[in-house]
Amino acid sequence: MTVDELKKLGADTEEGIKRCAGNEAFYMKLVPMALDESKYSDLKKQIGEKDFNAAFETAHALKGVLANLSLTPLCDIICEITELLRAKQDTDYAPLLEKLDKVRGDFTAIL
Amino acid sequence: MSDFVKKRLNKKRRVLIVDDEEINRLLLQNILAQDYDVMLASNGEEALEIIHRENGKISLILLDLMMPVMDGFDFFEILKKDPDYGKIPVIVLTSDKEAEVKSLNLGVADFIPKPYDVPEVILVRIARTIQLFEDKNIIKATQFDDRTGLFNSEYFYEYSTFFDEFNANDSKDVIAVNVNRFHVINAMEGRAFGDQVLSCIAKGIKAYLEHAEGLACRHHADLFYLYLKSGDHEQALYESIVSALSGILEDAAGRIRIGVYKNADDSLEFGKKMDYALLACNSINGDYNRQIAYYDETIIKKEQYEEKLIHDLDRALEQHQFVVYFQPKYEILGEEPTLCSAEALIRWNHPELGMISPGVFIPLFENNGLISKVDRYVWKVAALQVARWRDTFGKIIPVSVNVSRVDMLSRGLTEEMKGIVKDAGIDADVFHLEVTESAYTDSQSDLIERVAGLRDAGFAIEMDDFGTGYSSLNMLTSLPFDILKLDMVFVRKIHTDEKALRLVGFILDIAKFLNVKVIAEGVENKEQYELLKSLGCDAIQGYYFSKPVPAEEFAKFI
Repeated sequence: MTVDELKKLGADTEEGIKRCAGNEAFYMKLVPMALDESKYSDLKKQIGEKDFNAAFETAHALKGVLANLSLTPLCDIICEITELLRAKQDTDYAPLLEKLDKVRGDFTAIL
Repeated sequence: MSDFVKKRLNKKRRVLIVDDEEINRLLLQNILAQDYDVMLASNGEEALEIIHRENGKISLILLDLMMPVMDGFDFFEILKKDPDYGKIPVIVLTSDKEAEVKSLNLGVADFIPKPYDVPEVILVRIARTIQLFEDKNIIKATQFDDRTGLFNSEYFYEYSTFFDEFNANDSKDVIAVNVNRFHVINAMEGRAFGDQVLSCIAKGIKAYLEHAEGLACRHHADLFYLYLKSGDHEQALYESIVSALSGILEDAAGRIRIGVYKNADDSLEFGKKMDYALLACNSINGDYNRQIAYYDETIIKKEQYEEKLIHDLDRALEQHQFVVYFQPKYEILGEEPTLCSAEALIRWNHPELGMISPGVFIPLFENNGLISKVDRYVWKVAALQVARWRDTFGKIIPVSVNVSRVDMLSRGLTEEMKGIVKDAGIDADVFHLEVTESAYTDSQSDLIERVAGLRDAGFAIEMDDFGTGYSSLNMLTSLPFDILKLDMVFVRKIHTDEKALRLVGFILDIAKFLNVKVIAEGVENKEQYELLKSLGCDAIQGYYFSKPVPAEEFAKFI
């Protein structure tokens, strides 16, 4: 995985690396952690069980991490989900979750 | 002070990051690690554990709000109620505007939005919050001493804990600085000059602190303290102070005394450490040849010895362990010297410690006021002795007794004295009261009234130790007394030193002018006796005639 590859996927790597006090290696170490599957599967499970409070907390946490690393395409989708969950909307999350899976897949593919 | 604060600011403060997301914690840690010691907790419970474990020695908490186990709001509520740790400032990490408002209302110091700002912004926000908080606390805890610009004692105390905290692994020295007979400087030169002396001492201390790590205060009056990382401070500090004083105080070198408590025991409370330095400092009080003293075994022993004397005093009075001796005074104006009176002097025959010199216990009891008990004991014994000699030999031998400075402050003194002579069945005019010259310098107007009252009641007043205090000629004319006792330091050299001789002659002339008698103390040999006689001195006292002796032995002089 390189910075250029991340950039091509739409990550604002410049901003992300700035938050790492300019330490690119450190940034590149954090990115895979943010893509780790467990949080995402938690979210899917909680939404599936209509446990919107728990789902909101998970989405909210993911949002913070993704925003800090400026993994923008992923962050945008999570933001959308977070806001829906915050309003406790019992809507069909499947298209958003699908999209999330796909974009996350793009990122994990270059790991 | 700014120097110390600057040094202190260079120490790493501790920041606790509380966030359940590892990535967020790592990001902040990465930003802060260079300037702070960073501690990490993944929820409120863990954070509380860390705070307790570290005794609250944390400068700032960075707090995420949404966390499992214990969230940020719950954590903050518990923290705020804690009397010890509730004042640690908290910055909230959040991405919600709503949460920002809520947390600010709850009393958090600030917030850092997510996604994080650039590191520079975060660092500035953190530094400002810490500084604001510390300044606020400092201002509350302090005032500087107006006169000297040093810390006052409260602030010094407060800051010593910071100093300990940031220098936990270093040993430290506590130093007390005091001025010999500062009250005399005030009395003789005026308060404004006294203040000038204090500010020069402070200047000397500050100059020294530029090269040493530590802090200093003026505690009260002329007492200063320093708290420093251990080192060879005392000599250089002494020199710095003396040099700051040299412009205004001629005898500065002998005036300053310094007490050092080296490598202070950490387990002691700070006030105790200060006491030890002061004990060392006071152990050389009045000794113009020793400027620096250390707290050590001998001081501990001296302190214990003195405590024992204080403890044993009441029993000693009950059991008549005190013995009153009498030293004859001879009139020397006629052909042959004739016995004219006696001075009552105390000895302590302690059952365990043996004979204790009055030079040991009198200064001790003078300092703590207990001397008045001892004085009263002597007064009664001496008054009864006058009556006994009268009854045995048919002769009146007037006796003089010492009246300490603290006795002179007692409003009922005249009535008390009247009672004592009445009980003994003697007249007031054969009971002489010796008031030390230095007592006159202290509180003049009160004292003059009291002495005048005693004289009206018939008592004769002898001014004791004349020449050792700082009486001015002007004072001599305004003070009421009947007899001047010339201190032995003048007498000692009159037969070997022309100047000393002329000085005594001069004092005798003044006494004649003031129409008071002079008794010379400490006359030890024939030459001194004859010189004093030739100069017209009225009476002498000293080993030339006799040392102080018990009352029975005194009979041989009558």
